[in-house]
Amino acid sequence: MSEPATLELREQFATPEQQRETASIGMWVFLITEVMLFGGLFTAFTVYRLSHPMAFDAGSAHMEFLLGGINTAVLICSSYTMALAIHSAATGKEQRVVLFLLATMVIGAVFLGIKFTEYYLHFQDHKAPALWFDYSGPQAPYVQMFFVFYFLMTGLHALHMTVGIGILSVLLFRTLLGSFSAEYYTPLELGGLYWHFIDIVWVFLYAIFYIPGLHVR
Amino acid sequence: MKEPAISIKTYTWTFLALLALALATTLIGFLDLGPFSMVIAVTIATAKAILIAFFFMHALYESKVIRVILAGGIIWFLIMVSLTLGDYMTRGWVLNLGGK
Repeated sequence: MSEPATLELREQFATPEQQRETASIGMWVFLITEVMLFGGLFTAFTVYRLSHPMAFDAGSAHMEFLLGGINTAVLICSSYTMALAIHSAATGKEQRVVLFLLATMVIGAVFLGIKFTEYYLHFQDHKAPALWFDYSGPQAPYVQMFFVFYFLMTGLHALHMTVGIGILSVLLFRTLLGSFSAEYYTPLELGGLYWHFIDIVWVFLYAIFYIPGLHVR
Repeated sequence: MKEPAISIKTYTWTFLALLALALATTLIGFLDLGPFSMVIAVTIATAKAILIAFFFMHALYESKVIRVILAGGIIWFLIMVSLTLGDYMTRGWVLNLGGK
């Protein structure tokens, strides 16, 4: 597939603006399906949490608060560099696009590294549901349920991060090939939308898994 | 070349506001506010999500179609949560009525 470095206008569209907006609408619709994917899990979590608030607070007290807090800041930083990458693309500063995309990918990888360190510590703490779960307090099965949600939801989020880094590496490659310009950088914009969406998911994961345990600890 | 809709300055303020909110939610988390802990945490998270969507994702500057799609998704999500909770949270009531 060869792509001109300048503006692309395919024959089914009347104007470049219409083409850009159509692509953008497609991405937003996809993100809404992602809202439903994560939304189902958030709904299930809410039902369990409201039924067993004490057990879920007790589970939350076993989170790695420092690492989780750092990761929240790390992900916000990566969203910022992603936004700057798009801004650089819009103003035609290709070298800065490469720089900011690389920064976003590195910060994303740091997030995953910290996340897997947390998983490792939970395994050491014997908090791996079904595999290796030791908990002597009351309502142990529901504390275990908290960890089921924790691993499932943060795991699905980490999977999205991994895919996101993959998408960014393709975008980086295409930027280096000179596929984008100030007139045409729609794929960068769409990749950015995906990345920011993952950030939004984490914001809620941090709120429901980490925050309630802080005062229980 | 047309100027981008959002300036670097706006991005930077959004970034700083997000960090401040993350710090605020963490600090408030240390207080024991009972059931309100979760309410406040989710409210702050929603504020952060709105900042990210409006400024980083340009939702504020997009066309009406995209805003309608976004609103539709959120409304459908809220329907899913409220109907599910409407079921689970009221099951005890039904048992009490039919009980004795």
